[in-house]
Amino acid sequence: MTVLILTCEQDVTADMVVARLNAIGVPVLRLDPADLPGGVALSGEYVHGGFRGHLSAGGRLVSTSGLRSVWVRRPGVPGSRAVRPSAWLSEESAQALYGILRGTGARWMNHPDAAARARHKPWQLRLAQHAGLPVPATLITTFPQAARDFAERFPDLVVKTVSGTHPQDPPEAVPTSRVAPGTDFASVAFGPTLLQRRIAKRADIRLTAVGDRLLAARKPVAADAGPDEVDVRFTRAGTSWEPVDVPVRTAEAVHTYLRRARLAYGAFDFAEDADGIWWFLECNQSGQFGFVEIDTGQPIARTIAAWLARETQGNGRSAEHEGVAGV
Amino acid sequence: MRLFALNYARPAEQLEVSAAYTYDSALQLNVLSDGSVAAHDYGVLREAGATTSTAGSKTHFDD
Repeated sequence: MTVLILTCEQDVTADMVVARLNAIGVPVLRLDPADLPGGVALSGEYVHGGFRGHLSAGGRLVSTSGLRSVWVRRPGVPGSRAVRPSAWLSEESAQALYGILRGTGARWMNHPDAAARARHKPWQLRLAQHAGLPVPATLITTFPQAARDFAERFPDLVVKTVSGTHPQDPPEAVPTSRVAPGTDFASVAFGPTLLQRRIAKRADIRLTAVGDRLLAARKPVAADAGPDEVDVRFTRAGTSWEPVDVPVRTAEAVHTYLRRARLAYGAFDFAEDADGIWWFLECNQSGQFGFVEIDTGQPIARTIAAWLARETQGNGRSAEHEGVAGV
Repeated sequence: MRLFALNYARPAEQLEVSAAYTYDSALQLNVLSDGSVAAHDYGVLREAGATTSTAGSKTHFDD
């Protein structure tokens, strides 16, 4: 039984898992949907109530009935590297590939439906609240007056993107940033804006959840860091990530979150305040983990490989937050 | 007419320009010039920044 990995060639973080799977003798088919059609080929036959499907890439041919799991890591847009790419070809290719895969009994990390839903920040915040995680006061609005009112109630604010994406025309990065007192909110009317009460943090927490396993790392705020250094992704190098135990109540809440989100994998970001409380910021359903493993030595890649390597049981419909299998 | 959040934008870094490894389709892994597996060389990965939480920002939702 084969593990199917959907990702781009440059994804060296995926390499960390492929190497682990190789080490334990589990067959892997790695492909980028961007190469369908072309370097990637597929076929699915629905005849007389039966189904037979095959995928090939890089000289490997795998039956879809022989897939034990599918890891959706950093896949390209289907068809985007075709000789004559088009939006229509991409849609055709996506429907064919993901439609066929949905018909297998393979376990997903993460299922496309769960992944698509889990990307919505407002949905994340609500689910985190329901799961029992502390969530900073947050406003998403296009009403300038609502932003002004929110800033009066919560004078120390940060702004971040709603989608987690960054503009590409021209390419820019939009870090989570502190909003200065007296800021003019008029331009909130030009696009949805996410404002959030700033947590005066003493550390950042990255909790990587793989199935039932929680691996948390903590990065203390540097002693000389200013209050405007909000986004750990863009702050100066200084302190490094270190392993940290997950508080019991946080662990319970994270398990609840994953179960309700139907996620097999999630990278949770928290801000730890002066009282040691972990404030939920977001959960990236395909968040990076390599940088944490490199700093901490935590066996994240090995844990992912072990999850992917488990054989499908029964009809492939796995339980709760082990990922959604089947249709 | 500039969106509020873009008042806090900065030029994006081009992280993938100097990657010291290439993809080997037979191994299904990226390898260094000496043929060794790039993922086993944490020094290279650190230098490339390819495993960090901003590595996928250009093309993907999740970091």
